[in-house]
Amino acid sequence: MNGMVAARLHASGLSLPPAPPPVATYVGFVTVGKLVHVAGVGPTWGPEIRHRGKVGRDLSFEQGYAAAQLTALNLLAHMEVACGGDLDRIACCVKLLCLVNTVPDFTDTQKVANGATDLLTDLFGSENRPARSTTAAPSLPFDIAFEADAVFLLH
Amino acid sequence: MSHDARLAALKIELPNPAAPAANYVPTVIAGNLLFVAGQITIFNGEVRYLGKLGAGLDVETGKQAARLCGLNIISQARAALGGSLDRIKRCVKLGGFVNCTPDFIDHPQVVNGASDLMVEVFGDAGKHARFAVGAVSLPRGVAVEVDAIFEIA
Repeated sequence: MNGMVAARLHASGLSLPPAPPPVATYVGFVTVGKLVHVAGVGPTWGPEIRHRGKVGRDLSFEQGYAAAQLTALNLLAHMEVACGGDLDRIACCVKLLCLVNTVPDFTDTQKVANGATDLLTDLFGSENRPARSTTAAPSLPFDIAFEADAVFLLH
Repeated sequence: MSHDARLAALKIELPNPAAPAANYVPTVIAGNLLFVAGQITIFNGEVRYLGKLGAGLDVETGKQAARLCGLNIISQARAALGGSLDRIKRCVKLGGFVNCTPDFIDHPQVVNGASDLMVEVFGDAGKHARFAVGAVSLPRGVAVEVDAIFEIA
């Protein structure tokens, strides 16, 4: 993996997990023109779920933030495949939906989701930040702590 | 085989496209993308599959509920495209919302009811990206809601 985005990722001490295999009857991404619609992913590394449980009850804010960052890395793992290995083909993340597995009285979902958008901002620049929706989810598949789906724009 | 012919061959009966429940439209076409608003488990005016996964409803029933959401999505898409599905090039995205208890974890299996239907009707063009999430409650107390994006010719 070469290129500027890959270099920034490496400089941050991060690497991409393998693209997560879909857990049900769907595919990881669908490209339509210059838009890549990426399926919902979570804080996994290959088959291993690294952050499980509810933020604010089972997990600390910091663990939730880390879950969001790892989730964003999994979005990029799909994008790496979508881009034929060249992340520099990504113009920006257009839209990001962030879902935080949490309890009803937790009010920092938007800060947890920054774990995903802070990474995207570092990689693609503050002028290319996505429109984002964040919501608390009472539960998520397999009890993952965080889930995100996204639309990316290619150059 | 065209999508319309395949739907007929499968003997799948689509519900009538439901009117929106509030101040929005059921579909929007933007260039080559068709966006379908969230569809619930209603069949020609009759609301079906009320309740929560993990509290009375089992996964198989939830899957049937998701399939009915999918049937409504296809019905809305067909109406938006002038009565034929044949302009559909691809199912791009499904968003699945599952009305469930906080300890429920089988959302993917439930939403498969809609995903499997897309592949049944559209073949390889029915393979889509997807997310699934739990919801504390859904409109009218239904078990599942699904929205969709299609690529059209």
